[in-house]
Amino acid sequence: MASEMRSIGKPTPRIDARERVTGQARYTGDVQLPGMLYARVLRSPYPHARIVRIDVSKAKAMPGVHAILTKENCRIQWSSGDSRNKRLLFNDPVRFVGDAVAAVAASDRHTAEEALQQIVMEYEELPFVLDMEQALAPGAPEIHPGGNLSPNNEGERAPETDQRGDVERGFAEADQVFEDVYISKHHNNAQMEPRVSVAQWEGSRLTVWASTQGISNCRRDLAKDLGLPLNQVRVICQYMGGGFGNKNQCHDFDLMASALAKETGRPVKLEFTRAEDFVAVHGRWPTKQYYKVGVKKDGSLTAIRMKAYSGMGPYRKGSGGVAGAQLYRCPNVKTEVYPVYTNMAVSANYRAPSYPQGVFGIESLMDHIAHTLGINPLDFRLKNMTEKYHDEVPYSSYGLRDCVTRGAEALGWRQKWHPPASDRGAQKQGVGMAMGYFGAGLGMSSAVLKLNPDGSLQVHVAVTDIGTAAKTTMGLLGAEAMEIPFERVSVLSGDTDRAPYSVGESGSRTTNYTGYAVVTAAEDLKRQLRELAAQSWSVAADAVQYSQGAVYMQDRPDRRTAIAEILKGNPDGLIAQATTDPKLKGVSRNSFAAHFVELEVDTETGDIRILKYVAAHDSGRILNPLTAGSQVKGGVAQGVSMALREELLYDQMTGIPLNPGYYGARIVTHGDVPDVEVIFVETADPYGPYGAKSVGEPPIVPSVAAIANAVFNATGIRIKELPITRSKILDAAPGVRLEGGRA
Amino acid sequence: MDAFEYASPTTKEQAVALLAGEWGSTELLAGGTDLLSLMKDYLVTPKRVVNIKSVQELKGLRYTAGSGLRLGALVTIAELVEHPQARKEYPALIQAAEGIASPQIRSLGTVGGDLCQRPRCWYFRNGFGLLAKDEQGGSLVADGDNRYHAILGNSGPAYFVNPSSLAPALIALGAKVQLFGPGGARELSLDRFFVIPKTEQDREYALKPNEILLEVLVPPATKVRSATYEVRQKEALDWPLVAAAVALNLDGNKIRTARVVLGHVAPIPWKAPEAEKVLAGKTVTEDLAAEAGQAAVSQASPLSRNAYKVQLARVAVKRAVLQAAQGGV
Repeated sequence: MASEMRSIGKPTPRIDARERVTGQARYTGDVQLPGMLYARVLRSPYPHARIVRIDVSKAKAMPGVHAILTKENCRIQWSSGDSRNKRLLFNDPVRFVGDAVAAVAASDRHTAEEALQQIVMEYEELPFVLDMEQALAPGAPEIHPGGNLSPNNEGERAPETDQRGDVERGFAEADQVFEDVYISKHHNNAQMEPRVSVAQWEGSRLTVWASTQGISNCRRDLAKDLGLPLNQVRVICQYMGGGFGNKNQCHDFDLMASALAKETGRPVKLEFTRAEDFVAVHGRWPTKQYYKVGVKKDGSLTAIRMKAYSGMGPYRKGSGGVAGAQLYRCPNVKTEVYPVYTNMAVSANYRAPSYPQGVFGIESLMDHIAHTLGINPLDFRLKNMTEKYHDEVPYSSYGLRDCVTRGAEALGWRQKWHPPASDRGAQKQGVGMAMGYFGAGLGMSSAVLKLNPDGSLQVHVAVTDIGTAAKTTMGLLGAEAMEIPFERVSVLSGDTDRAPYSVGESGSRTTNYTGYAVVTAAEDLKRQLRELAAQSWSVAADAVQYSQGAVYMQDRPDRRTAIAEILKGNPDGLIAQATTDPKLKGVSRNSFAAHFVELEVDTETGDIRILKYVAAHDSGRILNPLTAGSQVKGGVAQGVSMALREELLYDQMTGIPLNPGYYGARIVTHGDVPDVEVIFVETADPYGPYGAKSVGEPPIVPSVAAIANAVFNATGIRIKELPITRSKILDAAPGVRLEGGRA
Repeated sequence: MDAFEYASPTTKEQAVALLAGEWGSTELLAGGTDLLSLMKDYLVTPKRVVNIKSVQELKGLRYTAGSGLRLGALVTIAELVEHPQARKEYPALIQAAEGIASPQIRSLGTVGGDLCQRPRCWYFRNGFGLLAKDEQGGSLVADGDNRYHAILGNSGPAYFVNPSSLAPALIALGAKVQLFGPGGARELSLDRFFVIPKTEQDREYALKPNEILLEVLVPPATKVRSATYEVRQKEALDWPLVAAAVALNLDGNKIRTARVVLGHVAPIPWKAPEAEKVLAGKTVTEDLAAEAGQAAVSQASPLSRNAYKVQLARVAVKRAVLQAAQGGV
């Protein structure tokens, strides 16, 4: 590893920024193929119903209609759409408003839509259930045989449980016991690019232009569900317009486009509308979290118990986890999570899937406990935060304490914190904080590096870059490892025919997994270069050194031979391939963050205005401060939206989603998002490439709780159900003191 | 959306001749920011779409000190916002216009379209009809999620709120509208343009199916101080939860007469004579403004989930009164 970084650590604009902002980038929706048909999907208007009759004859007779798929002629299983049940492309009974019942391919989009209107569907409505706890009550409508508690990882109808110590003993030892309930809602990922897929068959070979976060996984799933050998499936995604976790693997629209293309012998494009995007795919799982926490008078924790329900919708696509309790040192902890089937939209991964909702619960409650005990919330955390996983296993690198202290300093916590609702009058200011963490795992991924005879480098990786600048990062790592300028590196990505397996842009792992493979392959390239030089110089390989695009004899560092000279007789250059699977040894590995918020609440209108926002992060060594900073700001924007604005609402009587879409679900716009001061506490992690850990998902984790805690500090109102809307503030406001202590 | 016939007339006479005598089979296209989403969602399925953007008589923004402001129905929100004299004379109108949606939509959306846009009621937008009745004829709104619905004029059967941003300010400023149909032109005070529908076949405005809105006329407001105060959930791309427009006719420090109109609280822009009475003959103080706010909602009867809107309306009126008294855009 070079002692002095050349590419790493410098703010570097995205490798494809120009194409993206000038409209030259060809997104999946831009793909136009000769003879291409357009597909649209008919969806259930009922939350739960049996299909009695389908009549497609009128639609099929329409000029321009080429094919119609329903459950009657298509039995393809969408295996990544449900990990517990057999979920088909078209299911009967339908289990949520938006469940697909038919797909039409036609000569143009409007004909396809008119054809949907001509399909006769007859349903028998079934009782439905939206609420998680009601779904588990005796007599609740059964969404899948065997009941609405989704089986755990062992296949048992039991909650996912994590336990250490003895919580009952912990409560007995406590001086005070706190019990509380926190509620989070279903939020859509709301990425810019809607779901879209273009499928084309050439003989028995299928090409799918997907809008996926992982082309390798998408290919694997398509091959599995369509019964094809892997070498007959090619998945391409050169540019994609965001996903935040809801474009993992392959989706039903990829399979539908493929099936329609097969049926018609023509390429087929299937693109969702924004409303479909909000309802028919998935969002973040809603939760209801019951806590019981025991504390000593001095504020130390004796027990944490959490029992939580997660609403998965009718198909089990995500874990349903509720994370957060891990932040605190406590000898007795028990968490139980019940993933529940409901007739709402499906819930699965959305940026840090289990985290912001769980951290909202635990960090609100800890804030409440600190307040009740008369301890400054900052001191309470400095006292109780754990520095080891489960208080036992050390972390590979640990920067959370520094995040807390530096973030507090940047906000001016010691000057600004005051007892809740101290401001006189209707406008009340307050500060809040919360901590967060997210796994920075390691795992298998591959890279192929090609060193051209002129010394330029091609990095082949199957990353798709969902907005994290992963392509740029892979290029930076290649440049750093080869000690050549970043401008000499190109990245070939987003095509399973041109790149080896990459893990996919999810779990904040591309830098750690695929980046590790890039660096390892580069080491191999350097070894090959040294060996070539040694051969031609007739010396032992270990007598030759490499640095900055040149080789030299160890004892003559002034006589350097450039790559181009070494590769003179080698027109194809050198190729190195690495498949890496690093393992942790006796440590756990997390990224960490602490967020600090100062805001003002207008208690007459319930308006909340963020005045200052500080986000301090330990993501290891920062490879590219420019794009890493953007990740933090984007995560905060989503956190603000989740804390103050967003919710997919359902009508309780009809079971229909009321507000799918950007406007309806009140997704924040730039005007709603504060400036964010980003602080990177750079720990050099021994496992990551050049000391890097994960940065993609952590920024949303503490945001929601930090805002909620600041609202409490401003007003004395503890809102326990998201989002913190005007109506919730105003409904609680009669209890707000308008005559506080501060002028 | 379904296929439709597209017509692009160049005169108002041609335009109205292309319109059917009943609602539903023809629709007018101006900025299209609402119509297109209604058509995509199959909420309207016109056989013919009449594009009026080429009708010159519907364009143009003109201000004279003697007759005030004339806004052609096709004037875009952006044109209005950028007009120097309108900015100076009608702060309430400009503040309302500046709150609309986003720069892109303000560049496309028109004054006529703002007044004629359809309600945002989510039951309506999800295909349950303007009055949102269930199969038994009961109201989905009254028993359902009515957090954004009416707190005034909500004795039924309509519970939606009028979505216009400009109407409260225009009504407070005493605007009139010119309508045009096969029988010629007619003029209407803007507050009479909006009606509470009684049946699913009615619309929310007094236009006949084959009439078009020609222009809006706002009288001079040299001696008037006005303001609009909106409460929105989001900074942009949102419709207000509540808005209050206030126009004060001042005699020195004293209010001679006042007009107070609330938006987004009732199926029509809601005049608040109770508040106007409180203000008349008085000098503006914080207490008086608060009293006016209280009076404005004295008749409010919130539904099961929107009591917070009463508080918002009360505060919006208070703040609009204080803002108007201070003057300026």
